[in-house]
Amino acid sequence: MKDREEVMENVATHEDWKSCFSEVAPGLLLFARQWTRSPADAEDIVQEAFVKFWRRNHTVNNRALLYATVRSIALDFIRRDSRRARREANVFAETESTIEPQFELEDETQSALAAAVDSLPHDQREVLVLKIWNELTFAEIGSALGISQNTAASRYRYALAGLKKSLQPQ
Amino acid sequence: MNDFSELENELKKLRPARPSPALFERVEEAMVGSESAKIIRPDRFRINYGALGFGLAAAAVLLLLAKVNTDRRQGPAESIAQNSPAPETKPLLSARRGGNGIDGSRSPNEFIPAGATQVVYNTRDEGLQFTDPSEQPLRRLRYQTQETWQWRNPATGASLRVSYPSEEVVLIPVSGQ
Repeated sequence: MKDREEVMENVATHEDWKSCFSEVAPGLLLFARQWTRSPADAEDIVQEAFVKFWRRNHTVNNRALLYATVRSIALDFIRRDSRRARREANVFAETESTIEPQFELEDETQSALAAAVDSLPHDQREVLVLKIWNELTFAEIGSALGISQNTAASRYRYALAGLKKSLQPQ
Repeated sequence: MNDFSELENELKKLRPARPSPALFERVEEAMVGSESAKIIRPDRFRINYGALGFGLAAAAVLLLLAKVNTDRRQGPAESIAQNSPAPETKPLLSARRGGNGIDGSRSPNEFIPAGATQVVYNTRDEGLQFTDPSEQPLRRLRYQTQETWQWRNPATGASLRVSYPSEEVVLIPVSGQ
């Protein structure tokens, strides 16, 4: 398997966009799913973001930009359709649990863990998704989300603490 | 010290679902489309300027050489030319019939166009595409041709030929039925 850093460095080249995309697509899709319930909509967002990113031929030392592009297009996507916007408005509510990150679940333990991730507040889950399944640094997460590195780190810790608490036997 | 390392490991074992194969196909199509649009947007016709420049330079050199050769032959022929004006093609034929190959009706330095050909040796259909300003799909065709220009000096029988490759991209609007 190609080293992730090497793949990401080649994301802007024509030759390697396929291998790069196959490497990052699952994480990007998971990230996009936070703003939409439908996997098809999430795929639309990822497609538009990745192609837009490639067209502009950015240097990909700035990985955060790829995720910022996904986020920006996802928010535009919600705004474009008012009905969809109403339907998805609760994405930003902290109590909602309807958005399910898609995982390949193998057993009950993983199902419980995925459900616990779903129940996290949106801002914490966003950081968790970028950190765990997209392997961004806190600096990159901060840059992608427009928050400070320390805020990203603290949201991550809150997310883990929340998960640990929800997974403890009652 | 990280109190959550065990939990982090468990989380990392959760694998995000793979995207559908259709997504890869759609991205590839979009990539190809953006590549085509990027090429076409600056200009509609593309000419191999390097080859064209080389061809023109070669033509200039040949013209100079031809001038040097014909200057040496100048002499009584000029007075003959003034006495017998004739159509362009006739002296050529008469010269051939006469066997001397020299046409006296015009200046020996003069080259007249004798032909131009454009041979299309490859045509490639690069499919449909959408360009930003147009909502209508366009079919993109790429022609690779070899253009040849010929000049002939009726007086001396010297001929000059310049040939160069060229490439042309044509966008044809496609309308739905």
